[in-house]
Amino acid sequence: MKSVVSETRGMFTKSRGINGFNNRLFTVLVWGISGCIVLFIISLLFLILQKGLPYLTWDFIIGLPSEMEEGGGIGPALFNSFYMLLISLVVAIPLGMAAGIYLAEFAPNNKLISFVRICVEGLASVPSIIFGLFGIALFVEMFQIGLTIIGGAISLAFLNLPVMTRVTEESIRAVPGELKQASFALGGTHLQTIRKALIPAALGGLVTGICLIAGRAFGESAVIILTAGVTTSGEMWDFNLFSPGETLAVHLWYVQSEAIVPDAVSISDKAAAVLLFVILLFNVLFRIPLWIKDRKNR
Amino acid sequence: MQLETSAQPSILGAKDSDLGVSIKAGSGKTFDRKNRLLFYNRFFRIACIASAVFVCLILFGILFFMFRTGILTFRDVSPLTFFFSTEWSPEEESYGAFVFIFGTFALTFLTLLISVPLSVVIAVFLSEVAPAWLRNALRPILDLLVGIPSVVYGFLGLTILIPLLRDVTGTNMGDGILAAAIVLTIMVLPTISRVSDDAISAVPRKYRDASYALGGTRFQTIFKVTIPAARSGILYGVILGMARAIGETMAVVMVIGNTPQLADALFKPTSVLTSNIVMQIANVPFDSTWNYALYMMGFLLLVISLLMIVLVRLLQRKGAKS
Amino acid sequence: MKWFKSLTVAAMAIALVTSTVSVVGAASSLKGKIVINGSSALLPLTLQAANEFKKANPKVKISASAAGSITGPQSVRKGIADIGAVDWDASQDVPGFKKFEGQVAHKVAVIPFAAVVNKNVKVDNLTTKQLQDIFSGKVTNWKDVGGSDADIIVVNRAFGSGTRVNFQMKALQGTDFISKGNNYKEVKSSGDMKTAVETTPNAIGYMDLVYVTSNMKALQINGIAPTEANVINGTYKVWGFGYYMTKGQPDEVTKAFIEYIQSAKFQNGSLKKLKFIPISAIK
Repeated sequence: MKSVVSETRGMFTKSRGINGFNNRLFTVLVWGISGCIVLFIISLLFLILQKGLPYLTWDFIIGLPSEMEEGGGIGPALFNSFYMLLISLVVAIPLGMAAGIYLAEFAPNNKLISFVRICVEGLASVPSIIFGLFGIALFVEMFQIGLTIIGGAISLAFLNLPVMTRVTEESIRAVPGELKQASFALGGTHLQTIRKALIPAALGGLVTGICLIAGRAFGESAVIILTAGVTTSGEMWDFNLFSPGETLAVHLWYVQSEAIVPDAVSISDKAAAVLLFVILLFNVLFRIPLWIKDRKNR
Repeated sequence: MQLETSAQPSILGAKDSDLGVSIKAGSGKTFDRKNRLLFYNRFFRIACIASAVFVCLILFGILFFMFRTGILTFRDVSPLTFFFSTEWSPEEESYGAFVFIFGTFALTFLTLLISVPLSVVIAVFLSEVAPAWLRNALRPILDLLVGIPSVVYGFLGLTILIPLLRDVTGTNMGDGILAAAIVLTIMVLPTISRVSDDAISAVPRKYRDASYALGGTRFQTIFKVTIPAARSGILYGVILGMARAIGETMAVVMVIGNTPQLADALFKPTSVLTSNIVMQIANVPFDSTWNYALYMMGFLLLVISLLMIVLVRLLQRKGAKS
Repeated sequence: MKWFKSLTVAAMAIALVTSTVSVVGAASSLKGKIVINGSSALLPLTLQAANEFKKANPKVKISASAAGSITGPQSVRKGIADIGAVDWDASQDVPGFKKFEGQVAHKVAVIPFAAVVNKNVKVDNLTTKQLQDIFSGKVTNWKDVGGSDADIIVVNRAFGSGTRVNFQMKALQGTDFISKGNNYKEVKSSGDMKTAVETTPNAIGYMDLVYVTSNMKALQINGIAPTEANVINGTYKVWGFGYYMTKGQPDEVTKAFIEYIQSAKFQNGSLKKLKFIPISAIK
């Protein structure tokens, strides 16, 4: 503040000119840099879609992968992606929501609870590969079930649990207090208040959170490589929880860097496009209704 | 008309009789209902507590597992060797992790060096310069970018960035710390700029008004008033980005070259903690020093990321005070 | 409700009958799951055999992946895999690797290895001495071995690779590899090696003959080309046996699979087509 004052006081016209120039330069620079970066990133994503999507065929999407010959598909990997996503959400959403509701609604305000909050936040920032190592220690070393879909899905759920907890806590806290008081005044129990008043009111935040963790689960690769392996059972619609569970994201990495198929480049182009497309679809499907709802409320 | 009048009393009558029944037999019933509700309420509360405890248990489970396995490294390797030796050849019993620790820090530093200035510029653009329509379009897009899988970024790095680097700089391979830092920059940029954007937008209007009233230009206002006022929020964003850069695995694995040698040049295949763990964990027996050393490296990563959360907490407390 | 019960019973009975019929109908009643991990050098063979085996035994599920030889016996020991493919006999001590207790080795193929270079490299032939110098970092420029003036990019397999062990013992006669440098890179699997050599100009690496594609060039060693004929007649020395490791004696399904891959029909048919060499051809 001081410097602004002193500058405006002394050498008024001259500094004004320099500042005016600086100001214009600055505006141009900010526009230029931001424009370049945003355009760059968006064009990269566009490039991925453009290189892959036009060449997609059903044979590729539901076809079996091939290790030697051309023309392998991504069917089982894509299936595993959705299957594991589903299992991990089934585990993570109830547990995460319950923990978040506890922190927002029931927890007393004391040292222990603020420590619990730090734990949740800490867990949310733990690198995903650590969950992979934990998954190995738990499922491969302790339970000795090897690299399986269930092991990968539960490790994924662990990864997403703290995020779900935090999102739930935040969105329930953001619900206006009057709503809660009104429900209590009508004689509702705490459970009824939460179910009938708080959760519907916090739905926007919850859906955004679920969308976030679903995207994360769908695109996660390090955890899956360590806990579910880099192979599929080689069959479509294999619901066996103890099959090896390579997902699409892992397959993209595997094909790009390890596989020996001659058409690895085209497979990975297409797999990347499918991966990106599904993530974008998640966001569009879940978020656009929320945006529209937001607009209406405003 | 007649029908209606005749119907009405009967309806009323039915209601009355229903009410009567429920009052007669209902005292016990309402009590049951109340009890049931209270029971559900209580049960729900316990389930919630159990879930919260479970989340904490996972953290402690992870800490315990990583520490218990990792600490066994020091049965065969002295901590001094592990932390400061650059010789990582497990087949010859030398377990110096310095290359990876250094690599992780160097990579994170380089990433922040590129990404922080760019992110702050984008944040300033979003919050101060851009017209409203562009702002409203860009914010959701940046949020979307946060959710793009890391393998996709790695794939881009491998197929587009590395050949480009090879052509532009004339190096032989292009793999290395610079390529990884550029990929990571693209990954953390949305995070840092969105958090900074929120922080800058939250700076009270009156600060800016005061600066303009004193004759400050927009440039002066932003650099001398707004950014300093949003400092702790921007720092929060930077730490979030840093956490992501340190923990990122697959995008880094695809472009860094995965060779255990010290990253003393921008273009030289090297390795970091995360990439080394994921590349080697499948090849090691459970009860070997090699495995323990990898877990120790995981434990290091864990400690670093937890320390950063403590840092964020301290920052927030400081921000709340001021 | 009764009709529902009887319906269920009927459905179950039908299912039972049809399943028995289908079992009888199929050529074999083998049923189970085999997980194979390990050597990427053996992967093409494993996959081919798995495809053929699955056709004959539709109820058997086989999933195979590869991440370097040492992963094979290691996964078998951890219980992740039923078969560990490895390029050396892991039931015995070999230089650099301790033996795996309680595992049984099954010889399945002869694997020829080749030194390969990027297509832009002008050199066609290297002597053992030149290979040693390149891979130990004494020679760093292609012009010193008869090529154009360009840095040599050495691509090496990471420790734990059977291809690396065999190449070091048989092509380099035990010379140590370099392990550092700006023009040095380690890769994890044969596929990785293939990508690296194909896409990096002036790169040299090594892999089994099966993986050599038209986008790279296999070198002659001491003037002898890496072909099956030269391996069989004993002039080309860079080859090794491929093994399947199992935890003790294999179970029924796994045993049937190993027997299939060792059968004369497979050894002289598909195995030869994939440029591997039947075990029986080597004396």
